[in-house]
Amino acid sequence: MSNRKKTDDAPGNDTTLPVQNSRRNFLKGLSIAAAACSASLATGCLPTTARAAESGEQFALQWQEYFKKHYRLMTQKEKDETVARLERQAKLQSGLDLQISTQAPRENVLYGYAFNITRCEGFMECVAACIKENNLDRKAKTQYIRVFEMEPGQLDPGTGDGKYFHEVPVDNKFYMAVQCFHCEKAPCIKACPTKATWREPDGIVVVDYDWCIGCRYCQAACPYFGRRFNWAKPSIPKEEINRKQHYLGNRIRPMGKMEKCTFCIQRTREGKLPACVEACPTGSRVFGNLLDPESEIRFVLKNKKVFRMKEDLGTDPKFWYFID
Amino acid sequence: MKKTICLPPLTMPEKMVRTLLFFFIIGWSLLHPHVSAASEGSVLDRIGIATAPYDNSAVDSVQPITEETVAAKERNQGGTFKILARKKNIERYPCSSCHNGKPVAARDGEALTHGSVSIDHGREGSSLSCIDCHHRDDKDFLEDKKGQKIDFDHSYLLCGQCHFRQKRDWLGGAHGKRVTYWAGARVVYNCTTCHNPHAPRFAKRFPATYSPPSE
Repeated sequence: MSNRKKTDDAPGNDTTLPVQNSRRNFLKGLSIAAAACSASLATGCLPTTARAAESGEQFALQWQEYFKKHYRLMTQKEKDETVARLERQAKLQSGLDLQISTQAPRENVLYGYAFNITRCEGFMECVAACIKENNLDRKAKTQYIRVFEMEPGQLDPGTGDGKYFHEVPVDNKFYMAVQCFHCEKAPCIKACPTKATWREPDGIVVVDYDWCIGCRYCQAACPYFGRRFNWAKPSIPKEEINRKQHYLGNRIRPMGKMEKCTFCIQRTREGKLPACVEACPTGSRVFGNLLDPESEIRFVLKNKKVFRMKEDLGTDPKFWYFID
Repeated sequence: MKKTICLPPLTMPEKMVRTLLFFFIIGWSLLHPHVSAASEGSVLDRIGIATAPYDNSAVDSVQPITEETVAAKERNQGGTFKILARKKNIERYPCSSCHNGKPVAARDGEALTHGSVSIDHGREGSSLSCIDCHHRDDKDFLEDKKGQKIDFDHSYLLCGQCHFRQKRDWLGGAHGKRVTYWAGARVVYNCTTCHNPHAPRFAKRFPATYSPPSE
């Protein structure tokens, strides 16, 4: 880490490298210069100084981004710097004005979720809202939430139909949605070899996208199919990009990284409900602070018949299903 | 009386095995702290000890709701809360602007009578009629089974007569939902934000999207 730190603020330190002034190097430099010159002549436009400066800035940003620290080791100043760099990069590359937050967890808050399997009618408004809110890849059709159409009496989504597309609700079926359960003892965290995923003090399991190496061990470790992998650079129509982002949440993920539901960290840490809760037309989704005895989620836990999926695995998820 | 226990002296290999075992256990527990801390509080333990109410003003980014709200006439878990107001969303409210004893011109009759309302509320074969909920004389109000006038903003007082389970859950937070924020002062949807009172069951329709086959 320490030798990385030295290079942190030296974007142009390649000049300090020992350069051997040999004949071969001279010829190499000459050929590159000639190639660049001919290319610019062929396209008929010489690079203006402004554009050169811009590409230089982009290179400097990329360089500094490459050598930044793990999110948990950053000071607030370093977080602000990396956010400023990411926002500037987005501005340079695609002309987007992003607002990337690094809002820290709130005190005395532990997020919890409850899902009413009696009320859900399978309209999948939650899935649609999640895709929009979290800048999910439209081309690969990444979805954090899966809704299953279930036979009565069954409680394992493996037996349900997760690919239905017909008029809902169907008589004598019920609907059950699955997403990341933000386990207190999450197996994905233990599986990660680079500590790129961890549980925040407010209970949200997050991923540092710039620290993830894309090995997908966490995906294999998760017993709930809660994690998704970016096989390609996400393609989202520019006008649909949600510009209110969080460093650990819905900022656009690079290719080859793991991602997952973050309880809409960019919303919940500002006091808002996750997008799926706000979109649900049936009120099947309950979200709130588990440490607040007057919260809705605590009412559900106290007064309803609740269960957690695969509780016997000891993962201690913060996502309950309940029936009316 | 003191008892002394005499153990046979240990042989050299036994001592070595014991020492090795001792260091192995110490080393293991140092290398794997989560094993020794496995009994650390679960979610349910943490919930169990959290009894102090959360300060609702703690999240400073909560903005007031832009929709009009009214204070509910009942309490949830000991506290007051607000609900979305409704009267403004009712077309042609106040009702007394037409229901005032004066005749209505015949050419406006089709638009002004409630021909678009079809009631699908109640058991099959014995569905409700208008005056089961609406006040017979004062059309600006609803009427409960005890004959009391009920304001349109507080229709939960009326619905809760039959749907008492739903009302109990709604007061607590297991039915319906809050508006936009989990933090801040509690503002919830009223019954009619989601349900059409004349046909409260949600209509069947196609899902908003679909899921492709998983990886």
